[in-house]
Amino acid sequence: MDVTIHFKEIDHKLFGFVEGEIDTFTASGLRDELEAVKITEGLEIELDLSKVNYMDSTGLGIFVAFYKRALRENGKVKLVGLSNRLQRLFEITGLSDLMDIETDKKVELR
Amino acid sequence: MVNQTERNLYIAQNFTRQLIQKNISPEDVISIHKNAVEQIFPNQMNESQPAYDFLIEVMVHYGMAHREHQSLLQKQAEYEMEMKIATNIQKTLLKTYVPNMQNIDIGMISVPIRKMNGDYVHFFHDGEEYLSVAVTDVVGKGVPAALCMSMVKYGLETLVYAYKDPSYVLEVINRVIEKGVDDSMFVSMFYGCLDVEQNIFSYASAGHEPALHYSAKDDQFFTLEAKGLLLGVLSETKYTFHEIVLEENDLIIMMTDGVTEFRVKEDLNAREIITTLIKENRHLSAQQLCQLLYKEIERVQNFKLFDDFTVVILKK
Amino acid sequence: MTYRSSVEIITEWDIVAARQLGRNEAKVLGFGTVDQARITTAISELARNIYLYASIGVIEIERVEADTEKKIVVIATDRGPGIKDVRKVMEDGYSTSGGLGAGLPGVKRLMDSLDIQSVIGVGTTIRAEKWLR
Repeated sequence: MDVTIHFKEIDHKLFGFVEGEIDTFTASGLRDELEAVKITEGLEIELDLSKVNYMDSTGLGIFVAFYKRALRENGKVKLVGLSNRLQRLFEITGLSDLMDIETDKKVELR
Repeated sequence: MVNQTERNLYIAQNFTRQLIQKNISPEDVISIHKNAVEQIFPNQMNESQPAYDFLIEVMVHYGMAHREHQSLLQKQAEYEMEMKIATNIQKTLLKTYVPNMQNIDIGMISVPIRKMNGDYVHFFHDGEEYLSVAVTDVVGKGVPAALCMSMVKYGLETLVYAYKDPSYVLEVINRVIEKGVDDSMFVSMFYGCLDVEQNIFSYASAGHEPALHYSAKDDQFFTLEAKGLLLGVLSETKYTFHEIVLEENDLIIMMTDGVTEFRVKEDLNAREIITTLIKENRHLSAQQLCQLLYKEIERVQNFKLFDDFTVVILKK
Repeated sequence: MTYRSSVEIITEWDIVAARQLGRNEAKVLGFGTVDQARITTAISELARNIYLYASIGVIEIERVEADTEKKIVVIATDRGPGIKDVRKVMEDGYSTSGGLGAGLPGVKRLMDSLDIQSVIGVGTTIRAEKWLR
């Protein structure tokens, strides 16, 4: 299994669609893709994780690193489409209080 | 040409083995072949010589690839050797000393998924009065995790003076990690301190899997929820601590996410498996319970764990 | 006695000319077919590096015939960007990304010795020798 990410820019907002399983072995590819994203002042980035069917703590690390970089460079990162399982991962780690996160349900309601 | 027999071909195969053993490169093999053909059929050589020379030319490149492969294999063997040494160093460096106490039964198991363990358990105790335990899990596995863990261990060792204060311990270790490692590296930690005489267990958590408290009196499990951010994300994070009272035959079960996260069978409820198993076997010693739990989780995951596995059980 | 000849590498077909020159010189020295093929492949690799990474350069072939030793010397000189980390390009699997066998370590194995001198922004000179035994 591998993980892929596709970017789309709509109205100065960057959308990233992540798909696959994020673990120790697949993570480095995703990290490189996210590191290659150029964050400009005020850029809003939305990462859709609804097609991520597995993520371990290495994956978590990648998103935290991306979030911290965005914070430094005055961009905004939002994670959407989290499954219950991912939601729990972000809650246990305390990251859901820090980062902007939307669960799958809210996405459906929109 | 002469009749090709299977026997000849078999002899040729055995000969090939020797050629490979002696590191003869493919271009030399063809050259040997060409010379042999030249001796046996001198009349046919005029026509086939360019074809052989062409093949030799092509095989030079294969020969290069072959020798590179040989050298990479040797390099790999060297790396494996180094890895083995590093693993041994880690085992010594990050060895957990489980204290032996009169009034508290302590059990622990920690099994790495790869060669190096990304989980670590640290105990502090002061005679028979206090017992503290830190259960930690570094993000990622293998070498980077192990290196980061050494830092956590030494951080903890400098905190002997403050080991009864879970919030303080987490706040200090958080700063140590935040300064020391890159953005994608962090650690989760559950920290608990048991005041043996007062029977008060105080605990705090930094993004760690919640621990479980089995109350013997109620014959019931309570989750020791404690909110707190992972260590190493933000430098000035505060951690709040909570307290519970432990009674006779109560249990505290602390674990890493390798125990509760099932990659394949996500529908299985890990907490239910753990609580059922422990309830049924609560008469066993803390160490026996740890071992039993490992066996059971290993079994339900078809003997294929995906993460480092660590459980610590305290029994009053 | 040392005989020197050279080929400038500008187009891909100059690689062929360098190969031809190297093979002839190796033959004159008395190298066998297999060693001729090895020397030619090494020259080809060096010339190709010039063509791909430096765009302009020269391959010189020296035929050294002394009483005590006979050897062929291949010198590849370019005014390209230079090699930042020479030690790294001499590691197996680095430039070939795992098992294509070419690259400078491969050239070194085809010849007897390889020496690299490189200055960033100025260029690179690679000297490879093979003795006739």
